[in-house]
Amino acid sequence: MARLETSWHGAPPSYLPLGLPEIHRHLSGPGLPCGALHEVLAAAHGDTPASFGFILALMAGAVQARRGPAVLVVSRQAADFGLPYGHGLQAFGLDVGRLLLVRTRAGKDALWAVEEILRSDAGAAVVAGAVESNLDLTMSRRLNLAAATAGTPLLLQRPPSATATSAATTRWRIAAAPASRDRFDAFAHWRWQASLERCRNGRPGHWTLEWDHVAHRLRLAEVVADRTPAAGRRQAVRRAV
Amino acid sequence: MGDLLSNARSKVLDLQSRDADPAADDTALRRLALWCLRYTPVVMPWSGHGGHSLFLDITGCAHLFGGEPGLLTDLARRLHRFGLHPRLAVADTAGTAWAMARFSLSSTQWSDRIGHQPHPEERAQRASRRVGNRTHATTAGTTDRDYSPSFETPAAPAPQDEVVRGHIIVPPGEQGDALRDLPLAALRLDDEAQATLSRLGFRRIGELMRQPRAPFTARFGTALLTRLDQALGRAPEPLSPLEPPPCYRAHAVFAEAIMTQSHVVEATTRLLHTLIPDLERDAVGVRVLRLMLFRLDGDVLALEIGLAAPSRSVQHIIRLIAMRLERLPMGLEADFGFEAAALHVLTADRITERQATLGIADDAGEPTGLSALIDRLEHRLGAGTVRRLHPRQSYIPERAVVALPAAEHPAADWRHKAPFGTRPPLLLAVPEQTDDDVLASVPDGPPRRFRWRGVQHDVAHVDGPERIAPEWWHPGQDAPERDYYVVEDTAGRRFWLYRAGRYGQGAESPRPVPGPLVVLSGAKDLAVEPSSTTAAGCHSERSEESFGSVRTAQEIPRSARDDSPAPTSSQASPTWFIHGVFP
Repeated sequence: MARLETSWHGAPPSYLPLGLPEIHRHLSGPGLPCGALHEVLAAAHGDTPASFGFILALMAGAVQARRGPAVLVVSRQAADFGLPYGHGLQAFGLDVGRLLLVRTRAGKDALWAVEEILRSDAGAAVVAGAVESNLDLTMSRRLNLAAATAGTPLLLQRPPSATATSAATTRWRIAAAPASRDRFDAFAHWRWQASLERCRNGRPGHWTLEWDHVAHRLRLAEVVADRTPAAGRRQAVRRAV
Repeated sequence: MGDLLSNARSKVLDLQSRDADPAADDTALRRLALWCLRYTPVVMPWSGHGGHSLFLDITGCAHLFGGEPGLLTDLARRLHRFGLHPRLAVADTAGTAWAMARFSLSSTQWSDRIGHQPHPEERAQRASRRVGNRTHATTAGTTDRDYSPSFETPAAPAPQDEVVRGHIIVPPGEQGDALRDLPLAALRLDDEAQATLSRLGFRRIGELMRQPRAPFTARFGTALLTRLDQALGRAPEPLSPLEPPPCYRAHAVFAEAIMTQSHVVEATTRLLHTLIPDLERDAVGVRVLRLMLFRLDGDVLALEIGLAAPSRSVQHIIRLIAMRLERLPMGLEADFGFEAAALHVLTADRITERQATLGIADDAGEPTGLSALIDRLEHRLGAGTVRRLHPRQSYIPERAVVALPAAEHPAADWRHKAPFGTRPPLLLAVPEQTDDDVLASVPDGPPRRFRWRGVQHDVAHVDGPERIAPEWWHPGQDAPERDYYVVEDTAGRRFWLYRAGRYGQGAESPRPVPGPLVVLSGAKDLAVEPSSTTAAGCHSERSEESFGSVRTAQEIPRSARDDSPAPTSSQASPTWFIHGVFP
């Protein structure tokens, strides 16, 4: 089925591996299919940074696996929580030297820019967009088609209210989760609650993901094993105070 | 002439001196030569032995300016307007024209310098102009009529009539008579030959002309007699004309006025196609292009199109032009239609050819299509839309990264540029103040609860602080120092927030006094820190500040904080700002 879906434009289906067999089992192949539109929604408005972090994690993986620049399109409205910051992205594990930042005023311009980038021969490794504007079914089909023709993964960050039907191959909903700590009780790895809401040729699922910014890979958080001692230690500290 | 600078200074009180800059001289001469192309297509700058000159081949051109006198008058007048004082001469050969322009009668300096009395019958004048000790002579030559303006140092502006009168026209065939009494230096000989000839007793060209030729050839080689023959017209002296810089222009006049945008684009495409072979021949591409559309009522619509990288692709450039036409605020405004169009390449850059047809990106990982993409995005969405992040040397987070236009700035190297502390991937453009007071368990401690954008966040975990002091070498050094915390609330959302200043040193408390520090009488032993010392910074108060004391301004002697505004309230809790969010 997947071969039928993606082979009509002639290119072999390639995948962006997440490195997590547990998630791959829910997807149509060994990873997110390249040449497709993937939507990332925040669970609530306050979780927008978390969803941006998930996009950054996918981008970092794509930049490592593929050639070409990574392009990030940000419309002004979507930059509610600030603009991408070089040192932070570098610390996150994204190669900022290969990042192109496109800032547009209106969300419509951002969508136009995303399509233009996909249809150009710039050979982007990954295109990501933070777009607040309305993405209707027609537009999402256009973008999906453009991504399929280019063979480039397209990640779109959408507001939490964007529940309309779209042609996206996968739709993720991301919420923030307490970060893991190291043995000095300092922040070690960011964590998110990721639920795969929609997946073509796959099935939904829910995981707590952890971003390893050193190894540049996602992994499943060992929630039970990790949280209890940390919480217990904090209780002990409180009692001591 | 020939004095040392110190001697010259002693003679002339207000002497101005400049260092000689031969490269700039040559550039200026070249520009002047390009300008002289208005008189004749063959212009040769001469900056060899004997100073700077221009040779103009005016064969068949003089009648356009009213004959040779008319041309000379016109040229002299225009050069005079430039502030130059040319010496002009017209003769059959380039050598004679040069000699007459440089070494002819009316110069008084000539006899001083060369030590010869000019012959009274020489019909020539020179307007002399000298800068420092460099001389420029401009000579114009033709194969059959020669012509030489020569500028030297502008000592004093010559009167207009003298400028106009001051040129020499040697009648055809009279080079021998004209040259006879000129010094040997007029032959453009090298110094060595001149010195030898003067040792042998030769002073003037006429004496040389009378001598048998064979011994001279044996003694000096052919160079001397070749110069003489060239000046007399016996040997040819080809001029190597100046190549004007290539100019890529195309224009078209339409039989019927065009009105619609598609027609304009079509016409521009045709114009561009005529330009492409020239660009290909010179291996250059368009960087800046100007399209001019001439409306029937005389209005001209001019569009300038800049490209990120030089390009010869018609398709790409036409797309940019179409985008620009779409973005015109008032539309095309083709009321009566456009009757003509012109396309000028304002800037052309060299294209380094490379084989990119295999579809393999270069080492930088950026294929050639990227600059075209940047062009399209910037033309549709405005300049500076596409940017790259570049690191900067600074401790202040917002100063440590700049977003520069990707068209002009290649990718930066981000390795080994990491700052010490944790930095968020999303940074607010301007730090946002928290809604109200931040609850902290201890003063100067990490926050416990804060409210931002109307949402209350209970802090579950804190990393920090990381203190960042203002950079004293930048303006705004009296800003309070910042204590940054990475904060996670109970919902797992992470923020990067900082406290501006310490407790008792908030926004409404006196700011550190810039300028000279006033040392209080009781604080002589105080180690003065420029970044954190307030006028009130004595030991006792500092130690109390860290315990959250609210007494700051009241106890300070009035004289010690004369610059700082008096505090309006005793509220001294520091201000908290959100500066970024973590994923």
